Amino acid sequence: MKILLLTFAGLYVLLLFVVHISFYSAGRKKKGVKSIILTGGGTGGHVYPLLAIYEEIRSRYPEYNFSYIGIKGKAEAKIIPRENIDLYFTVSTGYPGFRNFPAFLRFFIIVTIGSLKCFYLLIKLKPNCLISTGGYVSAPALIAAIVLRTFFRIKIKIFIHEQNTIPGQLNRIFGGWADCVFVSFKETISFFPKNGIFTGYPVRPKIFTSELDLDQELKNKISKDKKVVFIFGGSQGARTINRALVDALPYLFPYRKKLFIIHGMGLAKSRIYNAYADTMDRLSRLDKEVRKELSSFYYARDYFHNIGAIYKRSHLIVCRSGAGTINEIAALGKPSVLIPKGGLPGDHQVMNARAMKKAGAAHIIYEDIKRDKKGEIIEFIDGQVLARTIISILQDSSMLSTMSLAARSFFKGDAAKKIVDCIESSQKAQELQQSSLKVADSHASLVLPPRGAVINKLKQIYEENPSTYNPAQILSDDEIDYYRYKATRLLYNPEWPIRNVGVKLCGYMVHRDKLSELIRMITDRTPVSLWLRLLGGDFVEVGFIRRNAIHSIVIMDVFDKDVEHALEKAIDDPYYEVRSEACRALRHFSSHVAGKDKWLNKLLEKLEDPSFEVVYEAAITLGHIGIDRRAFEPLLQLGTHHSWQIRHAALLGILKLLERHVLFPSPSVAEQISGFVLTSTDFQPVFHIKETYRKILELCTAET
Amino acid sequence: MFYFIGKFLYQHYDIFSYFRLVNYISFRAIMAALTAVIFVFLCSRPFIMLLHKKRIRDQARDTGLKSISDKSGTPTMGGLLIIGGVLFSMFLWGNWKSPFLLSTLSATLWFGMLGFADDLKKIRKKSGDKGLSEKTKLIFQAVYAVAFGYWVTSKISPLGKHALEFYIPFVKYPIFHLPNFVYVVFLFLFILFVANSVNLTDGLDGLAITSSLFVIGILGIFAYILGNKIYANYLYYPYLTGSGELMIVCASFVGAGLGFLWYNAYPAQIFMGDTGSLAIGATIATMCIMLKQEMVFPIAGGLFVAEALTSQIQDKIGVRLVGKRIFYRAPLHHSLQYKGLAEPKVVTRLSILSGILAILALATIKIR
Repeated sequence: MKILLLTFAGLYVLLLFVVHISFYSAGRKKKGVKSIILTGGGTGGHVYPLLAIYEEIRSRYPEYNFSYIGIKGKAEAKIIPRENIDLYFTVSTGYPGFRNFPAFLRFFIIVTIGSLKCFYLLIKLKPNCLISTGGYVSAPALIAAIVLRTFFRIKIKIFIHEQNTIPGQLNRIFGGWADCVFVSFKETISFFPKNGIFTGYPVRPKIFTSELDLDQELKNKISKDKKVVFIFGGSQGARTINRALVDALPYLFPYRKKLFIIHGMGLAKSRIYNAYADTMDRLSRLDKEVRKELSSFYYARDYFHNIGAIYKRSHLIVCRSGAGTINEIAALGKPSVLIPKGGLPGDHQVMNARAMKKAGAAHIIYEDIKRDKKGEIIEFIDGQVLARTIISILQDSSMLSTMSLAARSFFKGDAAKKIVDCIESSQKAQELQQSSLKVADSHASLVLPPRGAVINKLKQIYEENPSTYNPAQILSDDEIDYYRYKATRLLYNPEWPIRNVGVKLCGYMVHRDKLSELIRMITDRTPVSLWLRLLGGDFVEVGFIRRNAIHSIVIMDVFDKDVEHALEKAIDDPYYEVRSEACRALRHFSSHVAGKDKWLNKLLEKLEDPSFEVVYEAAITLGHIGIDRRAFEPLLQLGTHHSWQIRHAALLGILKLLERHVLFPSPSVAEQISGFVLTSTDFQPVFHIKETYRKILELCTAET
Repeated sequence: MFYFIGKFLYQHYDIFSYFRLVNYISFRAIMAALTAVIFVFLCSRPFIMLLHKKRIRDQARDTGLKSISDKSGTPTMGGLLIIGGVLFSMFLWGNWKSPFLLSTLSATLWFGMLGFADDLKKIRKKSGDKGLSEKTKLIFQAVYAVAFGYWVTSKISPLGKHALEFYIPFVKYPIFHLPNFVYVVFLFLFILFVANSVNLTDGLDGLAITSSLFVIGILGIFAYILGNKIYANYLYYPYLTGSGELMIVCASFVGAGLGFLWYNAYPAQIFMGDTGSLAIGATIATMCIMLKQEMVFPIAGGLFVAEALTSQIQDKIGVRLVGKRIFYRAPLHHSLQYKGLAEPKVVTRLSILSGILAILALATIKIR
């Protein structure tokens, strides 16, 4: 044991020496010349801000050595060689989560190998500092730098830049080790209270000084008095945006004299989606009239090299809300309609968009989800909504200018400069950190309370007074929009526990658009797999979902033919809670169903139900919807039921009949109910001391 | 203490021959029970007030039943009283050197501490759902269970040659000689199951303590029989030298439990909390094992089994897997409440049931 320990210690010391000697050996560099390693990537979104920082450092210190550590075949492999930076490759992969063990093991091995390679690279390149912009690409280099720093006492400064409102997993983990974490949004500071610095997003200066002008063809097409809208979904294109635009064209058509649309379709050519072909196909299916005039107000290309020029020429930009895109838009002071991509880690595009909206620089259109005819789930945006949003913004020139101003003030132009200042001197970094803490304090975080807490809160409010319920009582419009969007996404999740949350959230958000989906859930009879059925399961839309869907419809307070049909099916559901919930729903909609024989017979049938809960609810509901003695007689017969709760329900039903004047209060009714068995196995205890205490408490709280 | 003092005195001085009494298990058992009862009676009032002062109050979990709300504010951690009573009377009347006594009390203490930590965390967080996580609890329980299983099956086990025998009720001879490893796994599962089932049963005033008193009482009788060569031979039980000591432990538990029930009866002035329920559960489990009566537990403690099964089936299969409630509510006692039985009625009925089950379990002594 001792020998083993000694060997380890010896090896460690040896390694320490070797690393130190090789790292600090002669010829490390000329005095004052530093070596800087850049890492981060995977997508262009991580590479471009890093390049902006790089350009700023190089403009100040052209003699510094720069190296880039990336992964083969990713965005950085295409972009970096153009910039004349030494590019080294390592290996890494995204974190698959702990649950999936084989994938986790693979991840662990790959990252270890990558880190060892970076370890070697760092010793070879002898950097003074490492700048990372996140993405799993940067993990090996960060790990290697942290190991060198903590175990080998080598001085490497680590800087991280976070582009999004909600930091990625990797930056959250490594943020603690970094000297500084630069963040692009005020709201992000709260994630890095110790070393977070609010600098903004470093936009490459090229965007301002784009030398390329608009194509001549395009230039000729756009007459001066036309408002230009630029719509695109990133370099690959976004299916929902492309399709929504084509759907919107007929609605934009009446405004063609004042409007010009530039459409960047994107380069996607995968098997799932071919941006160009799909868009062209859809365009060809438009109305003849629209198609004839199309070229006068619409121009589409798969990719624009001179995107800066188009930004400048446009009055409104419709796009995704990636950190890079929105900062570029903001830098140019353009109003925008943002369509965040959902399902990303931390929902960061949504949060980015909300940050822009909060600043007053953008509108948000959330993607909706629906089932197509084949029953497949697709994300979409209603063309009419898109058209309406565009037109309403363009028509209001004062809104355009305020949005434009807001965008400009949203953008922090000196981000790259600040970042490099901090890298240069730690004193400056400290000052900036203090000031960014102040900024962070004065701004509420974008992170909303978890949906579970919101549901509980709303549930409480609903139960206090269902008739005046409205989520706007505690939520702002923006929050309601967001939670509705969230509810929609949850509602179509393949996992039933998540769908179930979606059902509840839809209800409490009064998201009536989703009524048809809720009805589908109640009536859907697709069975689950055999082994689940053996355990007592029934349908894919499980019992809880069916029950909660009914409750959600009650909260939404809509009653039409479809709802009635769904309730008819629900009251015969195999699961007892659904049946009893359906009875309660009937009570809520009693004004619509009272007097209908169909429902009366259904409820009478339910008085024989094997589950006492259903009988209980049915008996009370009878009192709400009965209009004659046909409801009264069966209730009387329940007077000798063995369960006191059902006897109680029968009495409640009779009471309701009397209140509704279906029965007239008379000694004969009293005579008839005298047969009721009134003993009960339950009672409510009264703790006198607690009652008195509460009275005093109420008095005292009322005073203040 | 008295055991050793008495022994010392009667061995060395003739005038103290009267102290031979301490050799008799029945005498010490009675004294232990009385001591425990008196200890709990004396300590309860000041202890309850102390808990109130320290604001150690139950953080009721929302079970969807209305009556539960008026229970908040009742002090918890009453298990400390039970454990204290048992330890005190064991200190006075127990033979500290008996491995039977030591192993059982070690379970009481270990699980009691675990429950104590859980209760403390719930009070700190002010929520009945925010105690120790299920995983943490299981890990701590598993550590003890594995160590205990290993000890019981090892060479130094007080059970000697009977250590690996497996008995079932109504059969005279052991049906298996289990391999070491299999038996340890079985014991592990058994301890976890029993301890947690008592924990789950603890939900209504006086329910857990009444039903566990029946089980502990039965186990005391078993301990008396198995620790007595004549009775053991007559009833064809394996004679376990020294297991009679467990009867004294049982007796002190019965005493302390009765004292506790005095205050815990509906409407309760104090709850035992996880401190008490886990400790009692673990004690029952280890006693069953030390007396080779593992399979008597499903009979004598049938109520616990039912509570554990309903709760687990409801949670793991119903709510998590197939998305519906399989029982109206779980565990069993909440289901009965939901169907319209008042709390004292539920407790009385379930106590009657566990009494019947105890009688059934007693029947296994002779019918074999």
